[in-house]
Amino acid sequence: MGTSASQLPKDLLSEYQELTFLTKQEILLAHKRFTELLAKDDRSCSNPRLPMSRILTLPELKSNPFKERICLVFSTSDNKDGSLTFEDFLDLLSAFSDSATSDIKSHYAFRIFDFDDDGTLDRKDLERLVNCLTGDTDETRLTSDEMKQLINNILEESDIDKDGTVNLSEFQHVISRSPDFVSSFKIVL
Amino acid sequence: MSWARERQTLDAGQIHYGPHQSLRLRERPSNSAVQRPPQFNWNADQPEEGAKGRPRNLKELPLPMELKKAIRQVQQMKVPVMSNWQSWKISKSKTMKRFLEESREVLAYVAPWRRTLHKIGGHFGGGVQSYFLFLRFLVVLNFLSFLLIAGFVLAPSIVFQSSPGNSETQNSIDQIECMIYSPEPQSLSVFYQYFLDLLTGMGFMEYSYLFYGFYNNTEMMNLQLSYNIPMAYLLTTAFYFIFCLICIVLRMGAVIRDVVKTGGRAVGGYSTLVFTAWDYGLQGNRATNLKQNNIRYQLQMDLEEERIRKVAASLTMAQTVRLYSLRAFLNLVVFGLIGAAFYAIFKATQFSQSQTGGDFLDLIVQYLPSIVITAANFLVPFLCDKIALLERHSPSTTVILALLRAVFLRLVSLGVLLFTLWNGITCNGVTESAACSVCQYNHKQYPCWETRVGQEMYKLTVFDFITVIAVMILVEFPRRMLVDHCPCKLAQFVGRQEFVVPQNVLGLVYGQTVVWTGALFCPLLPAINTIKFIIIFYCRKITLFQNCRPADRTFRSNSSNFFFLLVLLLGWSLATVALIYAAVMIHPSMGCGPFRFLSMMWSVVPDSLQLLSNSSRDFLYFMGSQAFCIPLFVLLCVVLCYIAALASIYGKTVSLLQSQLKMEGRDKQFLVKRIKELNSASRGKKR
Repeated sequence: MGTSASQLPKDLLSEYQELTFLTKQEILLAHKRFTELLAKDDRSCSNPRLPMSRILTLPELKSNPFKERICLVFSTSDNKDGSLTFEDFLDLLSAFSDSATSDIKSHYAFRIFDFDDDGTLDRKDLERLVNCLTGDTDETRLTSDEMKQLINNILEESDIDKDGTVNLSEFQHVISRSPDFVSSFKIVL
Repeated sequence: MSWARERQTLDAGQIHYGPHQSLRLRERPSNSAVQRPPQFNWNADQPEEGAKGRPRNLKELPLPMELKKAIRQVQQMKVPVMSNWQSWKISKSKTMKRFLEESREVLAYVAPWRRTLHKIGGHFGGGVQSYFLFLRFLVVLNFLSFLLIAGFVLAPSIVFQSSPGNSETQNSIDQIECMIYSPEPQSLSVFYQYFLDLLTGMGFMEYSYLFYGFYNNTEMMNLQLSYNIPMAYLLTTAFYFIFCLICIVLRMGAVIRDVVKTGGRAVGGYSTLVFTAWDYGLQGNRATNLKQNNIRYQLQMDLEEERIRKVAASLTMAQTVRLYSLRAFLNLVVFGLIGAAFYAIFKATQFSQSQTGGDFLDLIVQYLPSIVITAANFLVPFLCDKIALLERHSPSTTVILALLRAVFLRLVSLGVLLFTLWNGITCNGVTESAACSVCQYNHKQYPCWETRVGQEMYKLTVFDFITVIAVMILVEFPRRMLVDHCPCKLAQFVGRQEFVVPQNVLGLVYGQTVVWTGALFCPLLPAINTIKFIIIFYCRKITLFQNCRPADRTFRSNSSNFFFLLVLLLGWSLATVALIYAAVMIHPSMGCGPFRFLSMMWSVVPDSLQLLSNSSRDFLYFMGSQAFCIPLFVLLCVVLCYIAALASIYGKTVSLLQSQLKMEGRDKQFLVKRIKELNSASRGKKR
């Protein structure tokens, strides 16, 4: 990124344009927001990493119940702390952008919902997912009976091969039949 | 990341999370196998690359940027063997793509209210946003329509009005009596008269560019240029309708593509809800909490609904009969209510048409049909909602039923108004009766009936607008003040008002239908409507942010979008039928308007066809003949059948694949069981 922190080189910009679903303006805006979040002394370093706690101060992510998962999924950091480089950040915005395909969105949605990173959504993942959706406090959680019934129903509907978990292709099958998903899986800066 | 290591990870296999990995991973959840990033198979892309000449779009790979960059480098290295033609094609497609992207950017930048819509979506979710998107669509549609009309009718009329050398066709006509039409207002008028005129479209408004009656039957005939105002008037209106149809169908197409892709039915309510319910665009704690409440409420409702359905399935015969007879009876009541509303509109229109005068009381009489229609549209759906509670349908059915009733009421009440007017104009369709025999229409009461119909539509538009503003200032705002500042229980119980999307959309559709109906008789109505909708946009935005809390039930934006457009299309067809009937069946008034000497509006088209050169006329006749239309019709039918067959085959394939998946799953489970058995058996032997 060189010396001028607020400016992206032109060839890099066009490369980003080719590799993401973002437009030029969106990439520039993303870069601006990203450098704003960086600490002063980090700006000069060549490929700075933004720690998760800083990223979560973005108003677009701040109140999202899946915010930590989103960071963890898009982070390429080796020690799994959810920190993002600028390119990771672009990947995130690209997946959540308006023009990303339903395939790529559902892929990332699956990984966000896969809380234990084991490649399938099992009962525990589903329970955590539902808790995120309804709010994870004592008075907002579903009762355990309701939760049990709900998870049974979900598995009944979408676990086609009846192995007790929802895998990616089953998940994408559900998503492909829900027209609203693409419009709701969206974060725009 | 070093190149070698990258290579290794990338070569390891296909993109992970395949269906077959799941079992293995569950059996052995060791961290090293699990926490691996998604991988990419270098060799898998090659056949595709060879076939298409262009590798798969890198954007669509769910990989981190670093890997994408590496893949891109490799692809660029592989490219060189290529003919000039191919490389030219690729570079062309690249520039094309860039151009498209850029133009899309510009469009997005030009599109009005982008930030506002974004903010609304962030605070109130996709459902409410879809209402505003719909409103913006209508504003743009109306504005373009206005440009169309201004360009082809208004501007030429103004120019020719002042320029000499135009010829007004003056046929000798024997029915002098029919031509009496003197709309000029009395010279002395009270000061508030202007205000009244503005509201009713009478007086100084009546004889202006606003209404049909003012336009002349000018024909411009120069050597360089010939322009026929009546022809332009009719064709512009026709084109306006076709234009609107195209816009709606295009928009519908975009929506329906998703609906068709989803197979028309959801896989299951719960999984769809849980997997797709979250709106990632939401910002702020308040919105998030509301959304969470919404989802919890919906989940609980659905679970509850399922319980109710189980109860309903176990009902005894007698209970079922009782329930259904109750529903039938309530339906009768609803239809009685709707019928009563129609009768009231009919009577009110008749009464207001028979009165003429000029004072303030008259204003109310003038507005009586609008008032009755608005009141009916407010009261009857309200009662229907209350009745729907007794019917004990499932909640989703209740919503749809209430909407359908409201749509029916809205559109048919407009139809009743038109029917009443038609009754008066054509003497109940009996042209031989005393009042109509001279001019084919009731010339005493309606010297220029088109202007009259235009005024009616103008009044409906204005009144609709006034109600929106009045409701906002007099009801919504005080209610909010009361709820916010009055601690008493009642106010807290009533609570802030909900922003109910479907009802609001219906209001818009109704307004648009009125505009379409009046388009032929009041050419500037689209312009008025543009302004009206723009103001409504801001008003709604203000009420939304100041006075409203989001609805308890969320509306699925995409599926309801389709429904909105369908209703809009219904309104469009109602207006089209009415206008085609007016243009073809009713004698145009002889005292005013561009068609004053014709037996019907449509006859201007065949007349001007006579002026064309022989070959082009023959071509147009051929286009309209059966020899052309029937084959075209047959061809379209064949295409339609083909597409329908294709769709059904896709549906079958989906279900086939589904059953295949099931079979494979069973196989897999069987094998896993076998392995376990063998394992334990061999372990037993070892011991």
